[in-house]
Amino acid sequence: MKRLTTFGVGAALATMGAAIAAPASAATICFAFQDLETEFWVAGHAAIIKTLEDEGHQVIERNANEDANRQLEQVRDCIAQGVDGIIIIPQDGESAVTIVKEAQENDVPIAVFNRPPSDLSRGIVVVADNASIAGQAVDFLAEQALAAAGEGEKLQPLILVGDLGDPNAVGRKEGFYNAINAHKDRFETPIEVATEWDAATALANLEAAVTANPEIDLIFTSSDFLFPTIRSVLEPRGMWKKRGEEGHVILGGLDGDATACKLIKDGFVDATGVQDLYFEADEALKAILTAIDAGEYAPNEVIEDPGFALTSANIGEREMDMWGCVLLSEGFLDK
Amino acid sequence: MSEPARSVPRPLPVAGPGGAGARSAPPGIGRADGARAHGIAAGARHGILARLSRRAGDLLLSDYFVLYLSLAYVLVLLPFLPTLSNPANLSNVLSNMWPLLVVAVGQTFVLTIAGIDLSQGSVIGLASVVGGALLAVGGSGAVLENAPLWGTVLTEEGGPLAGVPYGLLVGIVAMLVTGAIIGLINGVSVAYLNMPPFMVTLVGLIGIGAFAIWLTQSENIRPLPDSFVELGKGDLVSVYLGAQDEPRIPRRQIYSFVTYPMVIALLIAIGAHLLLSRTVFGRYVYAIGANRRAAEISGVPVKRIIVAVFIISAVCAAAGSILYSARLEAGRPTLGEGAFLLDVVGAVVIGGTSLFGGKGKIIWTVWGVLFFVLLSNTLNLMNLSSFHIDMVKGGVILAAAMLDVLRTRLMRERAI
Amino acid sequence: MTALLRFDDLSKSFFGVSAVDGVTLDVPEYGVLGLIGENGAGKSTLMNMVGGVVEPSGGRMLWRGEPYAPRDAAEASARGVAFIHQELNLFFNLTVAENLFVDGFPKRFGLIDRGAIRRRAAELMEALDLDVSPDALIEDLSAGERQLVEIAKALHRDADLIIFDEPTTSLTPRETVRLFEVIGRLKAQGKTIIYISHVLGDVAALCTHIAVLRDGTLVEAAPAEAFTIPRMIHAMIGRELSGLFPARTARPAEETVFSVAALSQPGVIEDVSFEIKGGEILGLFGLMGSGRSELARILFGLDSHQGGAIAIDGRPLSGGARERIAAGLAFVTEDRRAEGLMMDAPIADNLSLVSIARFGRTPFAMIDTEAVEADTAAIADQVRLKAGNIRRQPAKSLSGGNQQKVVIGKWLMQNPRVFILDEPTRGVDVGAKYEIYVLADRLAAAGGAVLFISSEIEELMGVCDRILVMSQGEIVGGFDAPPFEQSAILSMAFRQAA
Repeated sequence: MKRLTTFGVGAALATMGAAIAAPASAATICFAFQDLETEFWVAGHAAIIKTLEDEGHQVIERNANEDANRQLEQVRDCIAQGVDGIIIIPQDGESAVTIVKEAQENDVPIAVFNRPPSDLSRGIVVVADNASIAGQAVDFLAEQALAAAGEGEKLQPLILVGDLGDPNAVGRKEGFYNAINAHKDRFETPIEVATEWDAATALANLEAAVTANPEIDLIFTSSDFLFPTIRSVLEPRGMWKKRGEEGHVILGGLDGDATACKLIKDGFVDATGVQDLYFEADEALKAILTAIDAGEYAPNEVIEDPGFALTSANIGEREMDMWGCVLLSEGFLDK
Repeated sequence: MSEPARSVPRPLPVAGPGGAGARSAPPGIGRADGARAHGIAAGARHGILARLSRRAGDLLLSDYFVLYLSLAYVLVLLPFLPTLSNPANLSNVLSNMWPLLVVAVGQTFVLTIAGIDLSQGSVIGLASVVGGALLAVGGSGAVLENAPLWGTVLTEEGGPLAGVPYGLLVGIVAMLVTGAIIGLINGVSVAYLNMPPFMVTLVGLIGIGAFAIWLTQSENIRPLPDSFVELGKGDLVSVYLGAQDEPRIPRRQIYSFVTYPMVIALLIAIGAHLLLSRTVFGRYVYAIGANRRAAEISGVPVKRIIVAVFIISAVCAAAGSILYSARLEAGRPTLGEGAFLLDVVGAVVIGGTSLFGGKGKIIWTVWGVLFFVLLSNTLNLMNLSSFHIDMVKGGVILAAAMLDVLRTRLMRERAI
Repeated sequence: MTALLRFDDLSKSFFGVSAVDGVTLDVPEYGVLGLIGENGAGKSTLMNMVGGVVEPSGGRMLWRGEPYAPRDAAEASARGVAFIHQELNLFFNLTVAENLFVDGFPKRFGLIDRGAIRRRAAELMEALDLDVSPDALIEDLSAGERQLVEIAKALHRDADLIIFDEPTTSLTPRETVRLFEVIGRLKAQGKTIIYISHVLGDVAALCTHIAVLRDGTLVEAAPAEAFTIPRMIHAMIGRELSGLFPARTARPAEETVFSVAALSQPGVIEDVSFEIKGGEILGLFGLMGSGRSELARILFGLDSHQGGAIAIDGRPLSGGARERIAAGLAFVTEDRRAEGLMMDAPIADNLSLVSIARFGRTPFAMIDTEAVEADTAAIADQVRLKAGNIRRQPAKSLSGGNQQKVVIGKWLMQNPRVFILDEPTRGVDVGAKYEIYVLADRLAAAGGAVLFISSEIEELMGVCDRILVMSQGEIVGGFDAPPFEQSAILSMAFRQAA
């Protein structure tokens, strides 16, 4: 099923891929990814493969099955095969550093896609700015909430916090606070609900928080995968309402998956922060192909993805920039 | 009496009287004749044909059989995969071999006493964390602040051994001792508490793995000192095969051949080979695998040997952990997780060591590991998708297992 | 008398080595043919050809005058051949009735008809005078009862020819008597029987005809009356054995080497005391379940005991097997397959196992391989082992007698003071038995003490200086000097008035 989807996404993407400048000659690119366990990675994988192939480059794929040592061995095999460039989605930030070093020591340009190495100084690194993305989404949520509220009324926000061992979770929390604090006078101190990136933990903690504070006006989840959990807590309490209905809680998240896209369209969710996957893929490819053309062996560059917020207001025009909506349009949720 | 041994369900005697029964040659009378009857299957005849089949049999039974198999495999694939013989690739194959070999050597001992050590994978992870925490020369609170190790052992300045003279040595010894302790627990549980090795080490696999992950909350520890990282890939001899008059030699054309991991792995393998094949200890290991009760009655200190074997296995895993951690330049709790154990056991068994004990050689394991690493390497070079790689790998392992059955049968026939 | 089965110049060779060579022999219908010969004489190959397991390479077989060439075991079974092996082909976790019907359950409405199975099983067992429930599990039956179930299976299939291969090996004397009754009854019912055994007395008593094989050829075949036991032995081994037992070469010395005092373990043995002098062979007779093997295990430190003491040369023994071996004790177990040998390991490795520590300075030092090779070769000579390359040939390729010589040899390498031999001649042919008796005599002659445990009264009488009788965990009496009287020993074992 997933494989079918990847082709679908790829096809949708092929039209956009034309934007990339073609290099002087066809190159052999090694694409080593850690696994394809979530829909986000499936979409990212398809974006890169299809774009490269449409440009006439040869792609060698390597799946490390979440084994960092295996990924290192696979990258070495790629180098031995004489590839011109390497793109990796690493298992984690630390092994990424080692692999980037290995490639650069062997004079092969390398780009790290999406999951940043713990040392950003080497290799082409594409990173999403979680704080900025979360900020954009929460800004919109705050505006909506304030517009709906009466004059001088203080609103109660709530955030579902991710595993704070994960830099992504830390950045998202930071972005949330930046946006809320901009309207300090209108918001109560936010309620923090710990999730540890675990749906069961999130469910228990959110139940407790909502029971203790039934008057919640705004909920932000650090990841879209928790929307079904939020729904199961809000619905029995009559708080799961569409926009415009009485009792609608302003709801937002971050990731931009297919479920979030559907919920925005249906009116339950107001905004989600999106990593601009297609922007990231394009930028990573552009940078590596440029380095190959220039004969540069060890290009170092940090490419920031500012992301954007897909909201109930802009969904009409930006829908197809969000990977989750692309998946949705391919019928992802029906499969 | 031998009653307990007999109370195993027998295969259906579908053949009726004189059928299956007659085949399961009874002790005494039927033995020699029954075994001879197998010989016909080999279809040997007089003259050249017989000599040829004998020669083929010799090859199959040779200690170097899997080496020949690997060479034949390479020769068959070479026309389709010219990269295979490219020095950079050979250098890769070698460097992938050494850490796996070190771990597999330990597993060979355990399989030889008819045991199995599933905890090797988690020993690698825990030893990596221990080494990382002690040796790290820095640390990031942002990543590790929730880890129990943070603030107690590890700080922004690194581990307690950072910058200490002979700290590297102490750290390495600590990693090996970590392995030895786990091996001791495994061995005592198996030998003195009579628990099945599979269960004991499965519990180790799950429990110790979880403990390692808890220690760092699944985060990796780095940076590690350069002297440690050198152990993972430091060159002793490198070669450059290009023209001599180039002003600048491109780095990707310098290939490492003799590396620290190679020296470490070969020293361990040679030591283990001598231990298993030339010492009283080794004889006892084989005896326990061949027939534990007979060994006990013959005065073999069975329990102590079993404990020692499990310690060897876990210490080898810890030594492998040194090489893997150095290679990936971090203390990683998740090292050795997942399919890694299958690679280890698979390589040892393909080499010819029996899962049923009593039969195993370190030299077989060397070739088994070589074959396994070559297999992964060639499948990578074929640019197959990851789905296909695992399917092909499974098929090749099955074929190797069938060859092993053939070998065992041949050995039985030759014995007459 | 007509022949049910005739072998007509039948031959079989493997790799050009003939296992059966031109055998022409009649199996008389309604008779009991005793088939005897040493291990490797070709008995099993011959029977495997009858059973369809092995195809003849020359000659033919005739079944009631018709050519008979079974392609497989199923065809042989269909023609009416049944095999009763010493290792039985029963499912130990199934009931008697289920075992009888494993290859064809009667069905009713597509389901197994349990009622019919039980009725037929009861019928069959009554015919054999076997008093167990059809619903009893095989694992709960005695060895003798299991064998009768196997025979019932043959009757159920209405076999005409029933082949018994060493049927008495694991039976008690009483069960053996019952088996012979059953064989008599089968004969009366019109069955033809081939009886293979090493126990020549049984063959003489039971069979109507006897055929002797040696090296694949038929040496002699005649009505049983024509044979005496010495003649059978002569035919089997091709030379005279000076009697069944060697003459003793040593007299017991004065000093006591091995002493056991008031040894007890509740429920196993009680108050066992005896002494063995240097140069003495002490026989210990006991029926199955008398505690003889349990005593041997306790003496060797494999099982624990609560009271009493054991000593060699006055020095008390303690600890486990390892310490006792060091003190000079050796133990030839009754189950050489499970406890005596590493079957898949080379003969030399088996021989050197007990004493290997002697050849390396520490357990982790290199072994002096040359010394090991020299010593194992010397021991193999000493026990007159018939083997090829002892460094490559695995123990399991040897005949039973030679396997037993390896077990004895591995202890000889340690030069023990006291030898415990538990059933050392079980499953061993006549020639090899004789050699084992010679070895026991030589151990004694070298000044050692030998405890010879056996359930064969004749061999104890032929070999031992003294005989003790054990029953229900106790030493119930003894006989101090030859000549011994068999019936007195047996009745003491059954605890009847001596």
